[in-house]
Amino acid sequence: MNLILDIQRSIENNYTNNAFCINHVHYTYKEFAQVITNIRSSIQNASNQDEKIVGLITNDDIYTYGSIIALWLEGKAYVPIHPDFPEERNTTVIAQAGITTILDSSVEKIIHNVEVISTSNLSDVSIDLTPVTISDDDLAYIFFTSGTTGTPKGVPITYGNLSGFIDAFDKLNYNISSTDRCLQMFELTFDLSVISYLAPILNGASIYTIPKEEIKYSYIFELMEDYELTFALMVPSILHYLRPYFDEIDCPKMRLSLFCGEALPLDVTEEWAKCVPNAAITNVYGPTECTIFCTEYTYNREGINKTHNGVLAIGKDMQNTTTIIVDDENKLVPKGEQGELCLSGAQLTSGYWKNEEKNKASFFNLDIEGKNIRFYRTGDLCTVDEDGDILYLGRVDFQAKIQGFRVELSEIEFHAKAALDKINVVALAFVNNIHNTEIGLVLETKTFDTKEMLEVLKTKLPHYMIPTQIKFVDTFPLNTNGKIDRKKLKELFE
Amino acid sequence: MEASEIKEKLKEVLVSVLNHDRFELYDELTAKDVDGWDSLSHMMIITKIEEGLNIKFKLRDLNKLKNLGSLVAVIQAKI
Repeated sequence: MNLILDIQRSIENNYTNNAFCINHVHYTYKEFAQVITNIRSSIQNASNQDEKIVGLITNDDIYTYGSIIALWLEGKAYVPIHPDFPEERNTTVIAQAGITTILDSSVEKIIHNVEVISTSNLSDVSIDLTPVTISDDDLAYIFFTSGTTGTPKGVPITYGNLSGFIDAFDKLNYNISSTDRCLQMFELTFDLSVISYLAPILNGASIYTIPKEEIKYSYIFELMEDYELTFALMVPSILHYLRPYFDEIDCPKMRLSLFCGEALPLDVTEEWAKCVPNAAITNVYGPTECTIFCTEYTYNREGINKTHNGVLAIGKDMQNTTTIIVDDENKLVPKGEQGELCLSGAQLTSGYWKNEEKNKASFFNLDIEGKNIRFYRTGDLCTVDEDGDILYLGRVDFQAKIQGFRVELSEIEFHAKAALDKINVVALAFVNNIHNTEIGLVLETKTFDTKEMLEVLKTKLPHYMIPTQIKFVDTFPLNTNGKIDRKKLKELFE
Repeated sequence: MEASEIKEKLKEVLVSVLNHDRFELYDELTAKDVDGWDSLSHMMIITKIEEGLNIKFKLRDLNKLKNLGSLVAVIQAKI
């Protein structure tokens, strides 16, 4: 397994570089190697040595990151367990993944009834980063994402999947080097964290994390400015929070500014581009099921950008991914028409963890040019233009049927935003007490008279797309992945 | 403005956002000590303070707000 050998080589070649900056404390790669080896030694001495899947309590410290690499050197997989998540959810995940051992750096143990290996305060052993023999099919991690039915779904990712991703990431030519300073803003339960620590580690660059008690967006700004960060992958929600303060932000050292996880609006991107005047800004896309991300679009500072309803395109397939767009019956749609985006390739998971029913619904096989290929249905509504750039139109399930008409909620959001001045909006379909579907609009602002906005909307949209109920909230709630929590907003109407 | 006067205003803001007054205002008080004061309500509290006292926090100010005492100090420097 070259990937793990590459990790070993990079750490060993960059001993004097800073690997991490956590809460303003720097750790060199040599110190990191020591932490990794100490934890590795504890794993080797644990009672359940044959255990391939190990739980990891996700704290923001060097031991938690060291645990990930230690597990990988041993050819094992980690399952991130968030100490602040409800105990019941964590218990479900532990049971589903069959976890009997957990690595934890906390002072007070969070999970009981399993063997807990404490990863902080270990004695130093002689550094050894040589990995065991690992096959492509061995698991590197399982991330549990929220399932629509309320039970978390496990997405297992193999070392082969992860290698496929890293290989394709390298081909994007971001050229991360040992002088880069990279942001890692994600909870370790979200797979965007993986590239945020792995790309720097593979290149001897340093990683800047966010302490849990800090306010994310303002802390990110300080890291960017005080440490002159050069690489940052963020969710677009951060931009919405920072937008009122854009005139205070000037980060000329930022080289690469990536966005993923949510629709990236063009207008905010244009304003952001002035805050990071020398950065290449890219919009990357992909679900956890296809290993972190798998398509890429580069924002054009000088000319025209491809958008749909004000949202930037998600661009072209990365090296190891093939995308297609299909209709309800899994048939390819003609070029230029819309349908559900489906993914295949080296990055694609083998399927949800022990969930045959869900796998049948989400994966299918299709003959493409004489080859039988397995695809994953993303639930994302897309279209491809003549250049091969994919445009994101919205979620298939954000499509609502109102009075028999097909309604794309992102379209309503686009026109509502255009009618308002820099106010964020979310359009939702909800079922009212007479079981009809209505459209609700939530505005992230103080209460005001919306008559004027509705008048504008009526000039842009057919009557059945005009929101029938409007709510105001001071701040959109976010889920633990930092995305707008649409489910919570929907509760306002139910 | 006197610290005591600012604290009085802060109390009004907290009560209006959190819908309770189960807290004492002392300098070492942190968000963790107050029911419902999480990252989301924090943003609402900040906005309400800005409106109520007619001030505007800088991004950098937001990271300095470690406890009630530092909040009062940051506000005092702005009035």
